Amino acid sequence: MAGAIIENMSTKKLVIVGVTLLLFQALAFMVGGLIAPSPTTSVNYMATKCVDASKHREDTKWFMPWGPNLCDKIRSFDEAMAKRIEANNIVFAVHIPMQNMEMSPWFQFMLVILQFDIAFKMHNQIEEGAVVTVDVGLAYRDDMFSEWKEMVHSVEQRKLHCNLSLPKTYENEGRYYDCDHLPFMELGSVAHKYYLLNIRLPVNERKKVNVGIGEIKDIRLISIHQNGGFTKVWFAMKTFLTPSILIIMIWYWRRITLMTRPPVLLEKVIFALGISMTFINMPVEWFSVGFNWTWMLLFGDIRQGIFYSMLLSFWIIFCGEHLMDQTERNRFSVYWKQVGPIVFGSFCLFIFDMCERGVQLTNPFYSIWASDVGTELAMSFIIVAGICACLYFLFLCFMVFQVFRNISGKRTSLPAMSKARRLHYEGLIFRFKFLMLVTLLCAAMTVIFFIISQVNEGHWHWGDHTVQVSSAFFTGIYGMWNLYVFAIMFLYAPSHKRYGDEQSSGQCITGDAGANSGEDIQLTTTITHVDGPTEIYKMSGKEAQE
Amino acid sequence: SRVDYCHILLLLLLFVLRSCCVIRYLAKLSSVGSIRDEETCERLRGLIQKQVQICKRSVEVMDAVRRGAQLAIDECQFQFRNRRWNCSTLETMPVFGKVVTQGTREASFVYAISAASVAFAVTRACSSGELEKCGCDHNVHGVSPEGFQWSGCSDNIAYGVAFSQSFVDVRERSKGQSSSRALMNLHNNEAGRKAILSHMRVECKCHGVSGSCEVKTCWKSMPPFRKVGNVIKEKFDGATEVEQHKVGSTKVLVPRNSQFKPHTDEDLVYLDPSPDFCDYDPRTPGMLGTVGRQCNRTSKAIDGCELMCCGRGFQTQEVEVVDRCSCKFHWCCYVKCKQCRKMVEIHSCR
Repeated sequence: MAGAIIENMSTKKLVIVGVTLLLFQALAFMVGGLIAPSPTTSVNYMATKCVDASKHREDTKWFMPWGPNLCDKIRSFDEAMAKRIEANNIVFAVHIPMQNMEMSPWFQFMLVILQFDIAFKMHNQIEEGAVVTVDVGLAYRDDMFSEWKEMVHSVEQRKLHCNLSLPKTYENEGRYYDCDHLPFMELGSVAHKYYLLNIRLPVNERKKVNVGIGEIKDIRLISIHQNGGFTKVWFAMKTFLTPSILIIMIWYWRRITLMTRPPVLLEKVIFALGISMTFINMPVEWFSVGFNWTWMLLFGDIRQGIFYSMLLSFWIIFCGEHLMDQTERNRFSVYWKQVGPIVFGSFCLFIFDMCERGVQLTNPFYSIWASDVGTELAMSFIIVAGICACLYFLFLCFMVFQVFRNISGKRTSLPAMSKARRLHYEGLIFRFKFLMLVTLLCAAMTVIFFIISQVNEGHWHWGDHTVQVSSAFFTGIYGMWNLYVFAIMFLYAPSHKRYGDEQSSGQCITGDAGANSGEDIQLTTTITHVDGPTEIYKMSGKEAQE
Repeated sequence: SRVDYCHILLLLLLFVLRSCCVIRYLAKLSSVGSIRDEETCERLRGLIQKQVQICKRSVEVMDAVRRGAQLAIDECQFQFRNRRWNCSTLETMPVFGKVVTQGTREASFVYAISAASVAFAVTRACSSGELEKCGCDHNVHGVSPEGFQWSGCSDNIAYGVAFSQSFVDVRERSKGQSSSRALMNLHNNEAGRKAILSHMRVECKCHGVSGSCEVKTCWKSMPPFRKVGNVIKEKFDGATEVEQHKVGSTKVLVPRNSQFKPHTDEDLVYLDPSPDFCDYDPRTPGMLGTVGRQCNRTSKAIDGCELMCCGRGFQTQEVEVVDRCSCKFHWCCYVKCKQCRKMVEIHSCR
């Protein structure tokens, strides 16, 4: 084997490939920035206060905030006070979406956030560690006239985190507390057109339920869903990317199988990276439009998790196989120390995700953050995953440092070589560094665009055009990693070209015997042939000479 | 003479009003009547033709406008409870008396809080789903209902503010931009709305993979109206006295004292200095004077007896007050208290 394509490709061709990839990259950003709307939309809802006049509670009765069957509603609780209505008879009703709108499966998911407006009263303050018990029912229907069908009914507890930024005096009575918003509901698919939420805050003094939660004035809900337009653009992108990566993957694997030797570790890892990219690309989400698959959100998380851990493992192995030191690698087990944290960290996040989104498959109102134990558990999972991530990056940085040190070590011996060989080596090292640089660039781009999309309000105005920054971030970064995987598979595919006529065949065999990554062998064997056992040869300690 | 009614919203409240004070009327109105059909629009006194058209076109919004007007009065009275002019409303037209028919500082407050309260109440009605074309109405910002599925709708506040602009400002605009009062009112209306817009609370939720901030959605929520009232009151305290100047073909308001820095969009402006509000003046409606007003004996500020009573002195009474104490509350609608009696000294102006 004469090495990978990247080594044998002329600079001109490399530039052409680079420019083509850059053009696709720009296209990916433009698709998100100019065609797609912002990724998600939030809608504010103010709950309507309905009066449940019935003596005994019927579970089949649903309260509508507006429309033909609207409930017996009250404007304020002063009115309820005058009419002697009790807290247990008040139902907060929210219809999702607003009038004249319809929800659609294209929205993919829906989160609902709960926010209380609590007025400060000197004699009725929020107690320390107050917990609100929410009795909530969710119903759906698909046309405006049929009966509401219950989806879930649940009694949930949420801890209030409120503080008053003003002194607690009579002067400030009626001012509102600043309360943190509470996670309320998460639906993994939006299969129905209309949803109705009925929320009650039952009071039971004996059991200390909903006592000491202050004077609630209003309940506000914020629903968040993915924009239909974004979903369509996203699906289109996935549908386009899947075959592209698939084709290059098949091409890559065919090249490897055409060779006489078995594939080396790095080649296998690159192939695995391609598989995980295809796995994430596969537009199985199309099914979510037709079927009510609530697990799609969880499935998406798992796919992303697999890709991320594959990418991180690839970096470690890529560095390791370019280390150019004595130790023989080419076995996955050598890297257990570095890959271990990745696997363990992803596993922690997987468990956490199962605890949150997994449970939400059966009860959309469940939140791991609602209970103290849950919060501690979730935090510990996240912290462990964080520690693993730090550990991994330490390993990675150390390895990159080692690679560069070894490369500069080889460099010192370069002047001793003949001109043609030196030029070849310089080119080789340059191309290796170039790929390192591309990786760093991709990582930096991801971080920078992430920060931009976080800091910005989500869109820029450019004359008459609006550029959706956060959509551009998603499509651009997604496209970028696809192109990255594409480029790696293309450039690291074994080359058929043989360079340097005089020692081609011998090298090929030694390379295979050395069973190391293509470039590394190339580097070592060439040196031995030309300059005899040099310093570098001793250092790389290959059995090639024997 | 210039028939300058008080702010249009407050007129709106008065359309059936024949007796007694606005506040009591509103209290009654909030539980019964509402503006539901287009005919009511015709009967509203004080509306100009363009406003009647808006009223007919969006009858469903008018109920929110009515609530907004009440909100404005309540907030005005709260903010001015300790001042000589306490935002007292009158049974006759205009509601706040002549105090606001002149271009005084008080007028600037009333205009600002009214414009803000309409935007506030309409936005609130939007959020509770009472308004059909809210947010996705393509006449006022935003996109068509089909657009909701593609890119969602615009914020409710955008609709509320746009409605306030079209309904409240149309009165001044129809007068033409020429009069300095129209300019002042328009500026203060806008400043009132800005008090909401610039104090919107932005909150975000992260919902990416495993709840990471990879995907983050932010939304804006309105500040409580008390906060809006406080902001406008602050602007009232620092209001700029202006006069009309001609710059090219347009007329603009510039500070009367050229050494002051020019006012911003969020500041209140006024044309005429306020009277001292000390004495009752039968010729000026709304000038009730401070006789009989309660004051604070220890305070040196405007609520102190010295300033409040304009140096006329005060009388002190000792009265027994029945207060609620050791209460038990539920979050709504249930209070069980003991009654406590205590003696309190009350000072009132002579």
